[in-house]
Amino acid sequence: MPGMTSDSGDQNNSLIPHSPNAQPITYPLHHGLKPPISRLSLSWARGNTLRVTVLRLPQPSSGGDEEAGGRVVEVKLSNNGDGELDDAQWRRIAYGSVTPFALLQSRKNSVSTLSKISSLDNREWWQYIMEYNKEINSLLGGPKLSPGFAIEDPKTVLKAVKKPTCLKAAWELMEIFYADQQSQSWIPERLLDWLADYNCLLSGTQPTVHSKLVDFQKELVAQQSVEDHPKYWEAISSAVAIGWLDIGVKLLRLHGSYDFDQLGSRETENGLVEAVAVLISKMPRLRPELEPDKLGECYKTKPDFMKAWEKWRAQITKLDCSGFWLQCEHHRTRDGLKSILQIMLGNSTGLSNATLQWMELYIAHFLYIRPFTSGLESMYNLAQKCMQIKPVSDHHKLTGLLIGILGENPEAVLVECSRSFGSWMMVHAGELLTAGNIQAELLLHEQRKLLGGICIEELNRLIYAQVLCSHALTWQIAPIYLSSCIKQGMGLLETVLCKQALQHNQILLKSLEICRLYELDSISSNIMKITGVHDWKHGKKGSGVFWLQQAQDEVRLNRIAKQLFDFVGKSVSDESFKQWEGLIELLGSESGSAGGLEFLNKYRDFRRSLHQVYSGMDTDAAKKAAEALISLMKNPSTPQRFWLPILFDSLKLFNWSERPLLNVSQTNLLLNKLQELSMAKLQPDFVDADLAPEALNSVRIAIATNLGRAILEE
Amino acid sequence: MALTIPSPQPTSQSPPFQLRRLPQDHYIDALRWLPQLSALHRHILLATFDSDTSSSSLQILTYTPSTPNSQPPNLPLQSSYPTSSRITSLKTLLTPQSPKPLIAASTISGSLLFLTADSVNGSLDFGFSVTEKGFHRGPISGIDASENGSLSVGEDGRINLVRIGNGEGGSFQRVFDSNGLVSYSAVKWASPFEFVTGGLGYSLHWWDQRRPGGPVSQFKGNWSSGATSGIVHSIDIHPSRKHTCLAGGSSGTVFAWDLRWQQQPIILSRAGTTDAYSPSESEVWEVQYDNYTHSSNTRNFSSSRVLPAMICSEDGILAVIEQNEVPMELLAEPCAVNSFDIDKQNPSDVICSLEWESIAILTRS
Amino acid sequence: MEEREMEKAIVTLDKDSTCTAWNYNGQRLAAGSLNGTLAIYDSKDPASSSFTCTSRFKVHETGILKIVWVPPEFGDAVACICSDGSLSFWEEVVEDADIPQWKLCKCFDRNSSPVLDIHFGVFAACLKLVAAYSDGHVKVFEILDPLDLTNWQLQAEFNNAIESTSKFGGPSCLSATISWNPQRGEFQQSSFVLGFNSDTPQLNSSKVWEFDQDHQRWLPVAELALPEDKGDQVFAVAWAPNIGRPYEVIAVATCKGISIWHVGSNPDPNGRLSVERVALLSGHNGEVWQMEWDMSGMTLATTGGDGVVKLWQSNLNGAWQEQALFEPTC
Repeated sequence: MPGMTSDSGDQNNSLIPHSPNAQPITYPLHHGLKPPISRLSLSWARGNTLRVTVLRLPQPSSGGDEEAGGRVVEVKLSNNGDGELDDAQWRRIAYGSVTPFALLQSRKNSVSTLSKISSLDNREWWQYIMEYNKEINSLLGGPKLSPGFAIEDPKTVLKAVKKPTCLKAAWELMEIFYADQQSQSWIPERLLDWLADYNCLLSGTQPTVHSKLVDFQKELVAQQSVEDHPKYWEAISSAVAIGWLDIGVKLLRLHGSYDFDQLGSRETENGLVEAVAVLISKMPRLRPELEPDKLGECYKTKPDFMKAWEKWRAQITKLDCSGFWLQCEHHRTRDGLKSILQIMLGNSTGLSNATLQWMELYIAHFLYIRPFTSGLESMYNLAQKCMQIKPVSDHHKLTGLLIGILGENPEAVLVECSRSFGSWMMVHAGELLTAGNIQAELLLHEQRKLLGGICIEELNRLIYAQVLCSHALTWQIAPIYLSSCIKQGMGLLETVLCKQALQHNQILLKSLEICRLYELDSISSNIMKITGVHDWKHGKKGSGVFWLQQAQDEVRLNRIAKQLFDFVGKSVSDESFKQWEGLIELLGSESGSAGGLEFLNKYRDFRRSLHQVYSGMDTDAAKKAAEALISLMKNPSTPQRFWLPILFDSLKLFNWSERPLLNVSQTNLLLNKLQELSMAKLQPDFVDADLAPEALNSVRIAIATNLGRAILEE
Repeated sequence: MALTIPSPQPTSQSPPFQLRRLPQDHYIDALRWLPQLSALHRHILLATFDSDTSSSSLQILTYTPSTPNSQPPNLPLQSSYPTSSRITSLKTLLTPQSPKPLIAASTISGSLLFLTADSVNGSLDFGFSVTEKGFHRGPISGIDASENGSLSVGEDGRINLVRIGNGEGGSFQRVFDSNGLVSYSAVKWASPFEFVTGGLGYSLHWWDQRRPGGPVSQFKGNWSSGATSGIVHSIDIHPSRKHTCLAGGSSGTVFAWDLRWQQQPIILSRAGTTDAYSPSESEVWEVQYDNYTHSSNTRNFSSSRVLPAMICSEDGILAVIEQNEVPMELLAEPCAVNSFDIDKQNPSDVICSLEWESIAILTRS
Repeated sequence: MEEREMEKAIVTLDKDSTCTAWNYNGQRLAAGSLNGTLAIYDSKDPASSSFTCTSRFKVHETGILKIVWVPPEFGDAVACICSDGSLSFWEEVVEDADIPQWKLCKCFDRNSSPVLDIHFGVFAACLKLVAAYSDGHVKVFEILDPLDLTNWQLQAEFNNAIESTSKFGGPSCLSATISWNPQRGEFQQSSFVLGFNSDTPQLNSSKVWEFDQDHQRWLPVAELALPEDKGDQVFAVAWAPNIGRPYEVIAVATCKGISIWHVGSNPDPNGRLSVERVALLSGHNGEVWQMEWDMSGMTLATTGGDGVVKLWQSNLNGAWQEQALFEPTC
């Protein structure tokens, strides 16, 4: 939120809900105050965090009633899916996706500038997409562990694995259909693998083959002759039906006829069980390879597979018609094995009985009836058929996503991503969706007037960036996504930067670094300005001046210079002047800096040299001090109000006994300044120096004396 | 904030090292190796911040070096001590008086905490804290601890000294107060009486407690012409060369200031200049002399040459730099490397904290 | 819309609190109370969402009605409107003492009509303040020294009417609402939108006022009301942040509901901006108290007399809808 949300998307799968009756969702807002409530007020905080102030109606004081007068409640509106992952996990995913996303964007940019060739033919392009896909996929959870044998215990059919997340399952569906070009020719087998990994996620409200096997496994431990129990045969049928061949074979080999004490008496029965087990494990598979512990024989090409498939089915038929069945005295075994053979022969009733959900039936159809199904349209039709046989009682996000994909409806895919997995998925899966799907690309890249001229892809990124900004630890990665938003990204970034907690040094410097990277100079100077004013007014004058200098804020620096001169002007004694040393050092001596602040630096140097004169009677030191005096008086940035105090401090220089320190022209300059000063006295804005009234007179006399001596000398 | 297009600056080939990144589920404000007493027990000290609960703490984790082929080490939590506010700077110290390392931690609210750590079982014991009102106003930005005491500096312009030991815990001595006219961001002891502070405008001040009332020597980096200046974030002084002060700060700047050649700093790194290589273009958050890296140019090894140093930066760089040499990049992360520490006893091992709530451990070989 | 919502109480306010205002970055809260006391709450670090009271001081003898923070480039300061219609400015400064203190910078005494609403705007390094009074007057003040909040100068005074010559016989206004254009570029025109809730129809409708640099005067450049609605009393206005749209979006709440207006950026030869009402939303049962746009200008949060909070968004077809509703409960 805000987002592409659709509450009525179930039926019409539309991005744009248009049912006028769609009711907004109501949330409670717990404030814990006793009624009556008088008023609410609102404020947006970082990202899309909303703060609501709830105020209680002022009550006449009733003694002990110290009830709070109001409370501020913070509501985070960030849509992070449906709570499958906690905040720390989401942050880890957010951090990890930054580099793959940024790398893909830069590659996209270089592809689009270097070649205009359709990206579909571009092998390199698909390599980039797969690299991106792999990186993101690895963030969503460790390597997948399929149900399979546990070697240690023969009675453990399913390995106990950490429950995978729907997020990863959804990502892998997108990978199968949109990213992995290699697997396009064997999508049914990939879906089979997918279901093997994530079947357990579908058991929310309805049983699945996985949940059935889990239940059966619990009973298995206590059972002696498993073949006497109908559930044993059902479990094998179900496992075989959805292609979990290894589990089927493992279960078959738990058959009582394998026991040493039974071998003699149940030879034929055992032979039939083993024959079915061998047929199961030799099933031809239309796929390049299988994981080592999986069963079946792989064929890469359709003709090879076709030959093997026909041969295999012929073997099944032959076994089905064999006379050995008559010799099998264990009826449950005979019936159980026969129904397994029916499943392998593609008997649709058998398949339907062995499976529990439409997805399972769907996979069973691929395996045993229509191994050559290809193309989304026929896959979609088959899915519809399976859903008719096994109707869906409630909406599951993963099947919803699959139907959207098969129905070639990118809108529905996006709605499902948004609703179930949040803005992170919208942005990152959007890259897979648009990688080669022209329909999706049109949908996501079309610029929309109603969105203020941006496309849905940009909207998604803006929304995700806003979610990132809602958290103090993730806001810094928002710029990566905003910089990929051509139209409005920088606008939002500027707003984000101006709302940071700048009074904290680290945040200030990190914000300025972002300004530097994205060349947001005016924001940078605004941030410095805010910091400078804050520090100046909060007792950190040095830091205040520093940041205003960095911001080149002449207006404020000029004001500050006036205030500083006031302070410095007051502290005439050397002791109190000393405390300004550090700040003056910071101001530097470069001329032309705003506010004439470099004057303070020169003034400091002058005072230092004067100090030396007063502590000794060295003419060289006095000569230096006189030079400093002249340069100070020549400097246009020396404030007029300092002229008289400076001249007054220099009385000793004018009356230097050894020889006059200033020549005629220098003395004339000082006299002119005195003249100017008496003219300025008539101005209304004149600031009088804090000196005794006779100071001016004694300065005038001293300079005049110096002039006289200088004339004589020349 | 990092993730820029790789900089065109050359970097030399780094020697092989083992790197492990360990996500932490909380932000790392500071980290240090704990001085060890025996080779068996190695501990890492973290100052953490949990954003979900807005709580901060000091944590000791046990570190077990792993062989190259083994699983990445997990760092089991040994002990944790909740702090009232976030930690801004962390120092550890082993004194001859006590077998337990001392920990000094400064906070964002202006107080200073002292704890002791038991390096055998990794427990943390609270010693004392300085929280008086007049101590610091606002956050403490830098501290340094030695046997002479713990120095703390802040943006408030105060320099305070807290003596450690002799049971007089909790009282402090105000060394200087600039009344906010100067702000300090880093401090480092140079000798039992001398120390250096760093601050705005790439400034360094040299202080001598025997000459109180102000710095005895000042340096301001005015090489940055125009408006852009910067801040010193970290200072290091090598025990064998107490006259040279190494400082790192804004714009990838690292320089050495030799008291004997006061106005001519040696620039080791600085963005946008041609006379020094710069592995970073952004804030250099920490500098430390690197005892592990031996100068590649031993023939030219004179006392005027600056020793190799390690830096970490906002643009994700952890590198070793050396005067007039191409820097050696150890890490180039997509996020900021906020701090690091070289284990004094095993200088091959380096830990660093990354902006994205994780730490990285490097073992150089 | 399945979204996980995290709600958390972050501040508990004093007894008899009457109003609150957050500063620019949401790190400080100012809360006013019935007895004229202002309380400031701060968080201890930037990532934390726990706030504690750091100062409490008396602003006035009467209750505080509204608090507005001064833009941060001008310091940490607030303006308070009190129930007797006075307006005062308070600023946090650290002087010789170590501790930050709140000082009174300026008090506009109630010598004319009471102040109903104020809003700050920044234009070319200059801080401006628009104040609306109960007699229907609008005054624009500005400060000349950016570091000194004590010296306010009256820059302009006018009525919220299109015809500047109109004369009104002593209008009486209950409330006013002002919103500055949040955009602050260097070349941005200084503009705001203002509406009244009064007994004088000509004053009520929301008008966009823009400063005419050449003639140094404020001009009404748009009126946000359909011809038949012009006399409707306006409860609240909110100018949306614009991060790159070619037009501006302004929300206006009247007794008929909440209208969303698109305002063009290029004036016609008469200096008027094109306006289009793109939605009329049902709003709240009763008066709308407040409307706030989020940082992207895509979501509008509103609250009103029915005591609930509503969030509004436009879908991809440009149709505005209520997306969520928050109902306060114990």
